[in-house]
Amino acid sequence: MKKITSVLLSFILLLGVLAGCSGSQSANGSKDGKKVDLRIWSFTDELKKPIKTYEKKNGLNVELTIVPIADYPTKLKPVLESGVGAPDVFTGELAFIKQWVDAGYWENLSKSPYNADKLSDKYVPYVFDLGKDKDGNVRALSWQTTPGGIYYKRSMAKEVLGTDDPQKVGEMMSSMDKVFQVADKMKAKGYRMFPDEGSIRWFSQGDSPEPWVNAENELKLTDKKIEFMDYAKKMKKDGYTANAAEWSPSWFESMDKPVKVKENGKVTETKVFSYVLPTWGLHSVLKTNVKKSVGDWAVTSGPSPYFWGGTWLGVYSKSKNKKAAYDFVKMMTQDDKFLKSWAKETGDVLSYQPVTNAIKDDFSDKFLGGQNNYQFFLDQAHSIKPGIVTKYDQQLDTFYGNAVKQYTDGKKSKKAAVAEFYQKAKNAYPELNVPKE
Amino acid sequence: MNSRVEPNKSISASWKAKPLPIPASRNRKGKVIKGLIYTVLTLMAVVCFVPFLMMLINATRSNEAILTGFTLVPGTSLLENYRTMMEYVNIWNGFKNSLFISVLVTVLSGYFSALTAYGFAFYTFKGKNVLFVFMLVMMMVPGQLGLIGFYELSKTLGILDTYIPLIVPSIASPFVVFFLRQYVQTTLHPSLIESARIDGASEWRIFHTIGIPMMMPAVATMSIFTFIGSWNNYIMPLVLIFSPEKYTLPVLMGFLKGSQVAQNLGSMYLGIAISVVPIMIAFLFLSKYIINSISAGAIKE
Amino acid sequence: MKNLNKYGYFFIAPFWIVFLVFSIYPVALTFYYSFTNYSGTGSAVVVGLSNYKRLLTDNYFVDAFFNTWKIWGINFALQIGIALILAAIFSDMRMKMKGQAFFRAIFYLPNLITVSSVALLFGILLDWQHGSLNVVLMNLGFINDPIDWLNKPATAQISVSLILTWMWFGHSFIVIMAGISGISKDYYEAALIDGANRWQTLTKITLPLLKPILLYIMITSLIGGLQLFDLPMLLTDGIGSPDGSLNTMVLYLYNQAFKYNNYGYASAVAYGLFIITVIFSAIVFKSMYGNQRKQAGQV
Repeated sequence: MKKITSVLLSFILLLGVLAGCSGSQSANGSKDGKKVDLRIWSFTDELKKPIKTYEKKNGLNVELTIVPIADYPTKLKPVLESGVGAPDVFTGELAFIKQWVDAGYWENLSKSPYNADKLSDKYVPYVFDLGKDKDGNVRALSWQTTPGGIYYKRSMAKEVLGTDDPQKVGEMMSSMDKVFQVADKMKAKGYRMFPDEGSIRWFSQGDSPEPWVNAENELKLTDKKIEFMDYAKKMKKDGYTANAAEWSPSWFESMDKPVKVKENGKVTETKVFSYVLPTWGLHSVLKTNVKKSVGDWAVTSGPSPYFWGGTWLGVYSKSKNKKAAYDFVKMMTQDDKFLKSWAKETGDVLSYQPVTNAIKDDFSDKFLGGQNNYQFFLDQAHSIKPGIVTKYDQQLDTFYGNAVKQYTDGKKSKKAAVAEFYQKAKNAYPELNVPKE
Repeated sequence: MNSRVEPNKSISASWKAKPLPIPASRNRKGKVIKGLIYTVLTLMAVVCFVPFLMMLINATRSNEAILTGFTLVPGTSLLENYRTMMEYVNIWNGFKNSLFISVLVTVLSGYFSALTAYGFAFYTFKGKNVLFVFMLVMMMVPGQLGLIGFYELSKTLGILDTYIPLIVPSIASPFVVFFLRQYVQTTLHPSLIESARIDGASEWRIFHTIGIPMMMPAVATMSIFTFIGSWNNYIMPLVLIFSPEKYTLPVLMGFLKGSQVAQNLGSMYLGIAISVVPIMIAFLFLSKYIINSISAGAIKE
Repeated sequence: MKNLNKYGYFFIAPFWIVFLVFSIYPVALTFYYSFTNYSGTGSAVVVGLSNYKRLLTDNYFVDAFFNTWKIWGINFALQIGIALILAAIFSDMRMKMKGQAFFRAIFYLPNLITVSSVALLFGILLDWQHGSLNVVLMNLGFINDPIDWLNKPATAQISVSLILTWMWFGHSFIVIMAGISGISKDYYEAALIDGANRWQTLTKITLPLLKPILLYIMITSLIGGLQLFDLPMLLTDGIGSPDGSLNTMVLYLYNQAFKYNNYGYASAVAYGLFIITVIFSAIVFKSMYGNQRKQAGQV
């Protein structure tokens, strides 16, 4: 007995020592031994580089905590609520920004010493407006604007469509019917138009998108959104996609390499023509995953304008370090020099007009074969309507995505899928007025 | 059925002891059947192990290779997978946290349960039986019942995002108390305590020098359960811990799924493998002991 | 002597202080919340029985209830069946099977692995297109088309059941073996001499005497099964996909509380779960012991 106990104990000790040794190189940025001056929470690693710049400039030590977006609101909310281990700066994504500007977690930046109201004319209007709470006070700022487009491979466009010119390719995809025509041509050559059928969801809202929930707290499933079900089904049924679901390993793989698609028991190798992604898709998705086809890409517009995502950041209202915190926000959103180099390096499309005006005319991105994506996206940004953002978006998008999948997979009729969507929405948010069947 | 099996005696031993004569005519047929049974058992063992085997092999292969198919030949991307994984998630850190919590939980639960069991077994005081029965009733209550209240309590006490709510409650482990009380009542005779008292030892001293050593085998048995339970606990740290550097291994696995590591299947497999392999190695050394503890725990119950 | 008995209070005090604060109080607080519309922030407004009324008519809770039962039931039948067969083989005096220690260890191994690791592992192994399981099954010629394990309600539930079986049959096997070793060998020797065959030995001696052990396995498995959370949470998207088939009661509780911030309603879900657990444990207990009383003279 004693022997076993001692073996057990020594083993545990050994494990403890091993774990202790490797623990010093934590991936989460907690640098042992050094004092942390500023804590930042975010849901991607895009702030890693700016933080280095900030640390160097101010001689401060910053700790960045990254929580994947699916868990981000659930994890961050209790932290902000209790203040225990809370960050000084935290970011918010478009899908839950509405919920957060009104929650009081972010410092009111309209007050002095921030006086952020004075900045209003410097930003793309919708970006600035989305950072305001219901009383019109600025709570969060963003450095980016996130209109979307379609990124496609030039070589395949030339081969199948006869041209790789973004203007002309864009015209070929200016309506859903035309998109299907292009998809058909791609298929005839053995290619796939999109990685998955979810790609087209943004275009399904048409030119006049409506919010999920209107001012009367009514859940609105527009005809356009329902129409998307049919488009998605057609996409899948006619084999225009590579069955590579968004964010799955095969989705990333098919950006750069031929992929195998299984259909009717046969395995065929194919290539994916295009990805429907917004501005940030370029630097945080495509550039990080594509190696071989650099320079073979271009971006153009789809059937209708859309925007997707975007990162806002603000100062935690109970932070004890508000000055340093706002300094970081300022660098990220108002620092001409920093933002210029950031834009040049990443290709991220900024919302801060003093910088965008200076660089938009002669911008060109090697990844996109020298195309000026800046001018393109800034034009698209004009058609963005921020009124469609509601605090329910993150969950409702998930529910509706599931409903569409039920239908495209042939597991449910359209009516049943819609009914289930309504039921789920009501269940999660009893306060919503949900249409009765 | 209670005391017929000693906790740490191998079960199979009693069977091997006295072989019975077998009629000769049955021998050949028996051999064929036996061969068949061994084949089936081996197959089952293979099925049990195949998921781990796939995991280990795929951990060494690149994302691209995994997407194209499966082979039994390990790949060459182990280091690259490791680098990709470490860039986003440090599994070792989760290991360290889980180990820290589980060891403390095991020690606290062992010591305080022994203390409580001893108190229930060797003293007579008012309300003793009522308290004991109440404890038994509460033992049946599933942990999820109090989950929301527990979360709110931790919020009020300001101990969210710390290990306190994961560790301190283990001081009160009704099942371990119950088990230890049953054990100590049959193994420790009150006269031993009496004579220690006559020698002038204090009550605390008697507990530490006589009570604890006497209960040690049972404490060790329960420690296995406590440790495994704490090690595998998922919902509590999921709800209570927010900072990724404090995540326990199970929560970190969920984190891994949502992180950018999930883009690379090879790295995913490697991350899972790292969370699994040390446990397997530990089991290699301790399997007999662990399995005997499970047997003992079930029988004593 | 009398003054020494006060030490009894000292000895059990730490336990009771912690128990009251961290076990009893949260359970009571949850009970209070179940009558409110508490949303995690602000104050809780008492709304009477409306959460419980909603619970009774909530399709998702009812579905979660049946999902949990289906998943647990299939798993339990398989798990206990396999474990009993294994136990019968290894305890058979005529066969003298060797290698019990080895097989026990291998069969038990999956039980020791963290459930979340298991969930992640199967999440990627069972992927219909690229999952290694489908690839291997197709290469071996068992199936022609990939099985969409986690995308169809029926296969997803069966997958979870099978994973649970894989994790637990070894454990049940060990416990049953422990139970068998507690049965006096005299019974078996007598049976051997009387010429009883294996089936008779199993049904007339082993099973009846194993009743307490089987009850123990069933109750612990039932309580664990009704709390099924880790696997469905991590195997798919965490809200019970596909088509709500992996939505279990505890997963529903978690999502209502921590994802949708309906703490009040989630508290009612917790109590609903509790009541169900109590009722079914009682039924299992009663049916097994009720039987035994009737058969008392038989063995």
